[in-house]
Amino acid sequence: MSAPAIIEARNVSKWYGTFHVLKEINLTVHKGERIVICGPSGSGKSTLIRCFNRLEAHQEGEITVNGVALHGKMGNVADVRSNVGMVFQHFNLFPHMTVLMNCMAGPMWVKGVPEREARKTALKFLERVRIPEQANKFPIQLSGGQQQRVAIARSLCMEPAVMLFDEPTSALDPEMVSEVLETMTGLARDGMTMVCVTHEMGFARAVADRVIFMDAGQIVEEGTPDAFFSRPRHDRTKLFLSQILKH
Amino acid sequence: MLYPDTVEAEILVHKPWFVATMFGAVLLLFMAFNMSSTSFAELMRPVIGEPSTSGLYGRFAIGFAIAVIFTLNVVLIGFAPLKVQIGIVWLELLLLFIAFFETFHLSLPFIREKLPFLISQGVVTTLYVSAISIVIASVIAVAGAVAKLSSNGFAYAIASFYTSFFRGLPLLMQVYLIYLGLPQLGFVINAVPAGILALSLCYGAYMTEIFRSGIQSIDRGQWEASRSMGFGFALTMRRIILPQALPVIIPPTGNQFISMLKDSSLVSVIGVWELMFLARTLGQKTFQHMEMLISAAMIYWMLSICLELIQARIERHYHRSKVR
Amino acid sequence: MNNNKGNTHMTIWTRRQLTIAAVALALGAYPAHAGAVLDRVMAAGTLKVATDANWAPQSFVNASNELDGFDVDVAKAIGKHLGVKVEFVTPGWDIITAGNWAGRWDMHAGSMTPTKKRAEIFDFPAVYYYTPAAVAVHKDSKAKTLADLDGKVVGATSTSTFEAYAKKDLTLDAAGAPPFEYKLNPKEVHSYENSTTAFDDLRLGDGVRLDAVVSSLPSILDAEKAGYPIKQVGDPVFHEPLAIAIERGDPELSAKIADAVKAMKADGTLSKLSEKWYGQDYSKTN
Repeated sequence: MSAPAIIEARNVSKWYGTFHVLKEINLTVHKGERIVICGPSGSGKSTLIRCFNRLEAHQEGEITVNGVALHGKMGNVADVRSNVGMVFQHFNLFPHMTVLMNCMAGPMWVKGVPEREARKTALKFLERVRIPEQANKFPIQLSGGQQQRVAIARSLCMEPAVMLFDEPTSALDPEMVSEVLETMTGLARDGMTMVCVTHEMGFARAVADRVIFMDAGQIVEEGTPDAFFSRPRHDRTKLFLSQILKH
Repeated sequence: MLYPDTVEAEILVHKPWFVATMFGAVLLLFMAFNMSSTSFAELMRPVIGEPSTSGLYGRFAIGFAIAVIFTLNVVLIGFAPLKVQIGIVWLELLLLFIAFFETFHLSLPFIREKLPFLISQGVVTTLYVSAISIVIASVIAVAGAVAKLSSNGFAYAIASFYTSFFRGLPLLMQVYLIYLGLPQLGFVINAVPAGILALSLCYGAYMTEIFRSGIQSIDRGQWEASRSMGFGFALTMRRIILPQALPVIIPPTGNQFISMLKDSSLVSVIGVWELMFLARTLGQKTFQHMEMLISAAMIYWMLSICLELIQARIERHYHRSKVR
Repeated sequence: MNNNKGNTHMTIWTRRQLTIAAVALALGAYPAHAGAVLDRVMAAGTLKVATDANWAPQSFVNASNELDGFDVDVAKAIGKHLGVKVEFVTPGWDIITAGNWAGRWDMHAGSMTPTKKRAEIFDFPAVYYYTPAAVAVHKDSKAKTLADLDGKVVGATSTSTFEAYAKKDLTLDAAGAPPFEYKLNPKEVHSYENSTTAFDDLRLGDGVRLDAVVSSLPSILDAEKAGYPIKQVGDPVFHEPLAIAIERGDPELSAKIADAVKAMKADGTLSKLSEKWYGQDYSKTN
């Protein structure tokens, strides 16, 4: 591919004590690419993307994000983190701040953006996730789906080079899943580089450029959605797909 | 209040067995005391004759009358709505207290004469010593809590030694140690700064634990979200963690402040003219110390009530972001 | 409202104190050198006097909320002789007797008995009066003499000479202390924070908590006057010499104070003050 690499993982290994969570992972995410990572729970998929902004430390191999090689020193990590947006399963909004303030906090405190400008940016992205009218409410006054959309807007306000989604819909009531997925689809359409850990196979099929299947700390299989869903090569992939698509 | 059940329970104080037990208990209790020389016995004179010679009959009659009044009172209060119940019981307990103090035959003019000085010197000193100390203690507590949660061995060791030492020693001893001990090292500090230092260090140690548990009560996700946006440690602490920990921290801190208000009386041993010092000193010459002690007690109580009210207000304020 | 008394010990870190602290660090001992305290007093023009605020009629807070009493008047008179102002501080008794005043105050005028043990850390420039110690009982008590109190319960201020007397452990080794003998054989001695709390227990009734209290005669008479149902029994049991105290190591200051007290004895100031506060002259034993 000709687009530059945003995230590059080379032979990445990680252990929790003696437990080998990630085994020599190699993965490159190019600019503008949409990648969906799936796999059974405990397969290491969340751990992998949490390594990309150093919420977790890897022990072997190399991770390069936006041209910066992660090595764990203070300034290095801060550089990477402000360029990588992350959306969590449980939203992790700041409950003591209004929705608007949640979105303004990062730009103002980390990037030193003036308040007026931060407010403008925040309102722009709240508009984009279609909840500008909730700007002055506190997170707890919003539904789960709305909260997750605020969390997405909060990340976007930092104008990241890449967005990481860590099972963004698995804590939501079923009727709210679609509004979050729609928001994510919209982002994808606008050309945002995205790495999504999710079980939403419909989303993967519609949006992903590449689907990656992980099991037991390894990338077992990767390919286009079409190839992945219709012609899975590995038995473990087939088993996983049969379980997840049964319903 | 606890989370109330929707079961409609019969009111306890209207159950016959409870009323009977209560009546019997009060009757026995007051029969056990010889009430014949009290003013209540005087009121009963038409029924029992001369109280001091009325003997067992007199005791029974007095006990019976008190038991009737008490039981009737409780049963009647049982009918009132919750808020009224609380108000009436408070008022009655207060009246009993006043009646109790009445038995000391206090000289009100003396209290009135000394009250301005008790307040302008005693209360002011007590309040400012406590207020400064609680502020310093809070600062120590934040630092101590961060140190106790850090992975730095030095910081942890110093903080845990500090909390262990200052929680383990009686406050009075700390006051002495600081006032008498520091000059040995060449630091001569006066009584008030020494008292403030002792109170700050002691309460800082307790509050370190309060702050630590407050900080730990915040969900890990808040740290992760902050980090994922590039917030540094200090920024996360100041803007994200501490503001959320405050509602957890404030109730026990309010308690600490109330108890500090009273513990600040210990600095009277090094000659600080605060409320307790004056209470023990002012009435001494004329042997009217009961007047001063009770006045000071009432003042302490009122100060505590004020603090409780303030604390309740702050708690309500922080409750805001939790209401849908 | 007058509250400057309370503020006398609220000044934080004066330069003088810093200097003293620095000197102390350098030499590792207090006071720095002979005459240092006197120099400091004269330079500042103030004599800082420690006394008790709770020891009427020697020292107490009067109706206008100022320190007053025999000890306070004596201290003021000494100040006048030295030509300096007098400032009072009121630390607890234990704090004063612990020594190591560290320049927080210069002199103690609070009826201290000049025992040999105390003389290890303090100088006693002058005995300025003698308190007769006596025994008080409840007014309903049948005791006529001290011998009637054999095997009874007696109260006294903790670590005072009165307690030491009741425990037969009193040494009056100060110069000029008249001899005494133990006439009290209590079964038990209860310690109190001050004589008032002891009197409070005695007033509850004869033998309720206490049968008798050993205290200074003046405080017994005062309590009686205030309506406490108590009375003196027997003659005074001993005469306690009471002295001005300063920290050891400044003979110049000691000499100055001794001169002042001597002059006050000679010109009758002390006798007059004693008459004023006690109704009799305690400045000499008789």
